[in-house]
Amino acid sequence: MSKKVLLLAVAVLFGSQAGLAMAANPDTGPGCGLGKVMWQNYPNAKTKGSQILMATTNGSFGSQTFGMSTGTLGCTDDGRIWAEQKATMFAELNADALAQEMAQGRGEHLASMATLLGVAQPQHAAFFAMAQERYAALSSAGELSPAAMVQALNEGISADSSLVKVALN
Amino acid sequence: MFLHDAVIHIFLAISILLASPGWSQAEPVIQDYQTELIERARQTRLADKREWQLLLHYGVDLFGRAASEEDDEGFFLSPRGKFDPQAELDATIAQFFVADLVGRSKQPAQCAFIARYHWLKERLQFDPHRLAPLECGRFDRWRAEMNPQGVSLIFPAAFLNNPASMFGHTFLRIDQRGQTEQTRLLAYTIDYAADVPDGAGIEYAYKGIFGAYKGFFSTPPYYLKVQAYRDIENRDMWEYQLNLTPDQIDRLLMHAWEMGNAYFDYFFFKENCSYHILSLLEYANPSLHLRDRFSLWTIPADTVRAIIDSPGLVGDATYRPSRSTIIKRKRALLTDEERSLSIGLMRAPDIAKESLFASLPLLRRAFVLDVASDYLRYKGESDDPEVTVYKERNRRVLTERSKLLIPSAEINIRPFTKQPDVGHRTTRVALGGGWRNDDTFEEASFRAVYHHLLDPEPGYTPDAQLEAFAVTVRRYNQADRVRVERATLINILSLSPIDDLFRAPSWRVNVGMDTLRRRGCQLCDNVVVDGGVGAAMESHVLNREVYFAFAEAEANYSKAYEERHRVGGGATVGMLADVTDRWKLMLSWSYRRYPFGDKSDDIRWYAGSRLTLAQNWAVRMDYNHRDRDNDVVVSIQAFF
Repeated sequence: MSKKVLLLAVAVLFGSQAGLAMAANPDTGPGCGLGKVMWQNYPNAKTKGSQILMATTNGSFGSQTFGMSTGTLGCTDDGRIWAEQKATMFAELNADALAQEMAQGRGEHLASMATLLGVAQPQHAAFFAMAQERYAALSSAGELSPAAMVQALNEGISADSSLVKVALN
Repeated sequence: MFLHDAVIHIFLAISILLASPGWSQAEPVIQDYQTELIERARQTRLADKREWQLLLHYGVDLFGRAASEEDDEGFFLSPRGKFDPQAELDATIAQFFVADLVGRSKQPAQCAFIARYHWLKERLQFDPHRLAPLECGRFDRWRAEMNPQGVSLIFPAAFLNNPASMFGHTFLRIDQRGQTEQTRLLAYTIDYAADVPDGAGIEYAYKGIFGAYKGFFSTPPYYLKVQAYRDIENRDMWEYQLNLTPDQIDRLLMHAWEMGNAYFDYFFFKENCSYHILSLLEYANPSLHLRDRFSLWTIPADTVRAIIDSPGLVGDATYRPSRSTIIKRKRALLTDEERSLSIGLMRAPDIAKESLFASLPLLRRAFVLDVASDYLRYKGESDDPEVTVYKERNRRVLTERSKLLIPSAEINIRPFTKQPDVGHRTTRVALGGGWRNDDTFEEASFRAVYHHLLDPEPGYTPDAQLEAFAVTVRRYNQADRVRVERATLINILSLSPIDDLFRAPSWRVNVGMDTLRRRGCQLCDNVVVDGGVGAAMESHVLNREVYFAFAEAEANYSKAYEERHRVGGGATVGMLADVTDRWKLMLSWSYRRYPFGDKSDDIRWYAGSRLTLAQNWAVRMDYNHRDRDNDVVVSIQAFF
């Protein structure tokens, strides 16, 4: 998933609530200031984490956000598309935590990921075990990008009938 | 951007074209009903009702007039709205009859100001035939995405190394339907914060204090907040479940949606994050009067206590440890051998393949790898220039970890300090007496905020002190003089005990005045600006002790000095000891040499002792020695 797509996805999340008008200008909508999320809490902007977050927030309110206001990206009522985007975005924004918890076979980021991918609560333990197994393969292949993790988890779900996705609505 | 504006304009033009014929026909009927509603609202004095006052954020200005705290013109539908609740109410009702797009969010008034609409609709029983309700698709989608089930108040603890976070922070989390302990990361939050431009430097301080920044509400997902506070800033967080009815949650969300239309001038001390979160809760349940306690400043931890003091408002409290707390607690569970293995893994992950490591039981191997990974992630998110090295090592540690194919055991991480609601309040008064050299005195002290190292420690970030705006007035009996003995503008002290994993510097800054005995001058004002950088360590001999050492620079101004000033530097060493849960000691020794101005040097001793009587009461004894000047005070302190 390219960075640009990620930015757009973030714009959708942060902008979708106010929809059409607000996206181009962070000051124009309810729940906005979302683009500015709270990274102004970081006078020391050198830390990697805050850089990522600034990139995903401030950057989302430029011309790039035009995509969502014309409805080309996700800002539709199609819940399935939106749900899948949420999972990818969550992985992008929590890549380190997700990688760690996949390797450890448990954790709240992994549980949240399972929920976003439609795995029901009783199947979480099986999902965690599957994620742990897949982690070693991903890591030795040098493929630990967020997109690769999501893909591996999705494949794991498809390959195991007990993890069958619940319907996303 | 231009294209985008054009689209909006076309859209607007179309909607006006489509709408106008209908409106013109219905005009007389609308006018009648509109007048009737405004008249009824005036008769029932709705503009004076608490709900209307809360919705528009009316307060009283310096001249005793009604004035809204809101500073964005787009928030008001009447040009006089900021100062005239009645005019705003009239204009609001009138605006509900048209579909014009208003406010920053460019929606019809019924949707842009949806909380006002629903409150007035209920109070005035709008007739849907004469005042047609509009669809608010954007609000509906936003609310559906929030999927609200409950609300939690979140308090990330104070963090001295970030000026915006020194007093802590509060925000709300909208708990989702079906959310579990494990998936609450996915919930959205409602946060209010100043919009500070990138790279703001020293001007941040005065601009933040005097309202030069705009504050906005926003709704980032909780996982971003957890990442910011727990993972990057290493701050413990507390989550308080609030008992709100579904109705109250709806009111809260509707008002939060309206607040997206607006900004407030952000005032660091009073109208800050916590203040506006209290406003939201008051509108959710207008019988709450949470802000009444706060007149000059609103300290986040005090607002947590105000919310907890409201009967029945707060349910369970949940602790969310910071990454550094997690590492410290987990490390305490390692044996000496495991500990050295974990440190080895942090440096060279390949030792996981060696026989010494392989000889550990499977579960312990998993645990040692987890500790190593936690630490490497901590370093990987720090300012360390070698972050990429740490990230790569973490990847290798995690690869070894994943091969063990067992889930990590669940570990209950206890906080190092109690939850904020059991802490003392932040304003302190003290009455005391004592003697200085040959004289005796009585004294009274006032401190506006926040916490001294010798104040009762439950609920506060350990080893962190921040005092601002303090003054002590003393009456000397023999000299028969009353004078300002000490004053503090700001006094910050941050101790970070160093160990084999954590190596942050300690630091202190102080600006204030004290009273000097020097040469011919018995009691002289002395202005002090000083600061230092140092290190701290801790031990657990009695209970917990922290030792510290600082290298310092200091400047003094007083008529007692030749040339009225002196500038120099020196060092301080000292210790803090929790003797029991209630009794705390502090000892320090300082040496200063002043090569500039009045060339001189100083040796100082300090001993302080505190006994906690109750959550908001303590007894203090302070002994200060400087040259041949000895000063002993015993005081009783109350926090309110």
